[in-house]
Amino acid sequence: MISLKTEKGGTASKGVVPPFLLNWLGLLPFAALIFVFLVVPAIGVFIQALHNSDGSVGFGSMREAVTGQNFDAFVFSFGFSLGTATVGTLFGLLVAYAIAVTSRPRWVRGVAMSFSGVTANMGGVLLAFAFLSLLGRQGVLTKIFSALGWDLYAGDFNLGNTVGLIVVYSYFNIPLMVLVSLAAVENVKGTWREACSSLGGNAFTYWRRVGLPVLSPSIISGFLLLFANSFSAYATARALTDNSKIVPLRIGFFLSGDIKTGTDSLGYALAAWMIIVMAVCIALYWIARSRAERWQRA
Amino acid sequence: MRDNGRPVWAYFVLCITGLFFLAPFLTMARFAFQNVLVIDLGWSNLFENWSFDKATAAFGATYFAESLWYSLRLAVFTSVLSVAIIVPTAVFVHLRLKRLRTIIEFFTLLPYVIPAIGLVAGIVVLKPYIRGFIASDYSLVPFYAVLSLPFTYRALDSALQSLPLETLVSASRSLGATWTQTLFRVLLPNIKTAVISGVFLTIAIVLGEYTIADVLLKRTLPAFMVEYRGTDPRGGYALAVLTLALTTLLFVVLGLLTRSRHEKSRSS
Repeated sequence: MISLKTEKGGTASKGVVPPFLLNWLGLLPFAALIFVFLVVPAIGVFIQALHNSDGSVGFGSMREAVTGQNFDAFVFSFGFSLGTATVGTLFGLLVAYAIAVTSRPRWVRGVAMSFSGVTANMGGVLLAFAFLSLLGRQGVLTKIFSALGWDLYAGDFNLGNTVGLIVVYSYFNIPLMVLVSLAAVENVKGTWREACSSLGGNAFTYWRRVGLPVLSPSIISGFLLLFANSFSAYATARALTDNSKIVPLRIGFFLSGDIKTGTDSLGYALAAWMIIVMAVCIALYWIARSRAERWQRA
Repeated sequence: MRDNGRPVWAYFVLCITGLFFLAPFLTMARFAFQNVLVIDLGWSNLFENWSFDKATAAFGATYFAESLWYSLRLAVFTSVLSVAIIVPTAVFVHLRLKRLRTIIEFFTLLPYVIPAIGLVAGIVVLKPYIRGFIASDYSLVPFYAVLSLPFTYRALDSALQSLPLETLVSASRSLGATWTQTLFRVLLPNIKTAVISGVFLTIAIVLGEYTIADVLLKRTLPAFMVEYRGTDPRGGYALAVLTLALTTLLFVVLGLLTRSRHEKSRSS
């Protein structure tokens, strides 16, 4: 066999199984792109993060990044991200169910799906501007509310605070949840329901024994995705507010040197914690997702 | 559920949701194109004083044309890079490494694990070692390609999954086509729609990306919008509305392109 490995032999065997190494060679451009422009910078963040305030190697900055004001920032970011993920999950499911049961007019489903596809990716500057024009201090809705006798800004409402961020982030979180859960929701309202009632189950048994168990992996994976999405969002928050309790903004301020502390590594330590949180979320999402897909194949 | 008659609550939910999704952009358009103070706004003057003045003023502003041209160049180069790398990889994976598809999918989740703000922190770390590269206008291209990777890959992956790839390749190869001919004359026409939607998603991502541009102080279109809104809020809104219109147009064209393809295949 080895002696047959001539130029011609190589050509003839091209259609069959190529040498092991060639397989990996085909992945090289893709792997190189990810490695050089994503993994290497991430490693750089961790290397910088693992320093003490005097510049020596250690866990000093990592510890400092989760104490004092930085800890408050993480608490704040966790809080509003959990809030917006919860709101997004509940309303997303409601809208997905509404889409699933609306059979007439026929175009509703198609329009709702493409609209969700667009709005789910609608973060950033545009969205921030749009909400500033609606609910900012001079916003149209703010003025309508005040004409009706409700001063929105009388309390501590602000688009950069928990409630404001929940409202704004819902704009992309609700449609994202619709996209993630619609297939599962449609399954639930379909033939399985009929199967359950013909076996003598009522609505309560159906949701308890079939509906929720089947939906729960989709709900959990959607919730994790929404949480991760909100926790790491920089662009929308940056154009909306300068609240340095939002962890991504805090990282940005450290990187551009707006906050001087004498230690360079603190910003990177915050970024490292952010990556750790995201890694946990996405890993759990990955697990939940593969469980959800089991039901969609059936 | 259908024999319950009309699910009134569902229409209600969809209408209210629709309102929530349209309202912010309607009010933004009002600020952009109507010169009436919010405090004076009422039913009587709702349709008064609409004009494109603020938009035309913004077009003439210093750096507007420059930042638009910069973002468009980034969009083109990022699309080319991302298609050139991801199409052959996706075809290759489907053809040769089916078992490794899960691992590749895991790789495409990495941009979520390392979000833009984490990535840019890493770029700042590396900056002293690659100063010349970062200073170049095009240094953002590979990073934007990485950010758009999950979207592009997913579009291609689902298209390839529905193709009898091995049959197509064997047929093409046994008729004497080279690998290049097979890729360009057999496979690409079959995944054209997916490639186009991948390109459009990439363009939309590049035109909207703000995190990396902001921290690295690159004046792309979104960065310019934020800067310009600081001096002229209504002008900033006008630019935002126009960017939105441009992106929407892009997606309408995408919808038409993909639909005409589906209808063709249905009628034939």
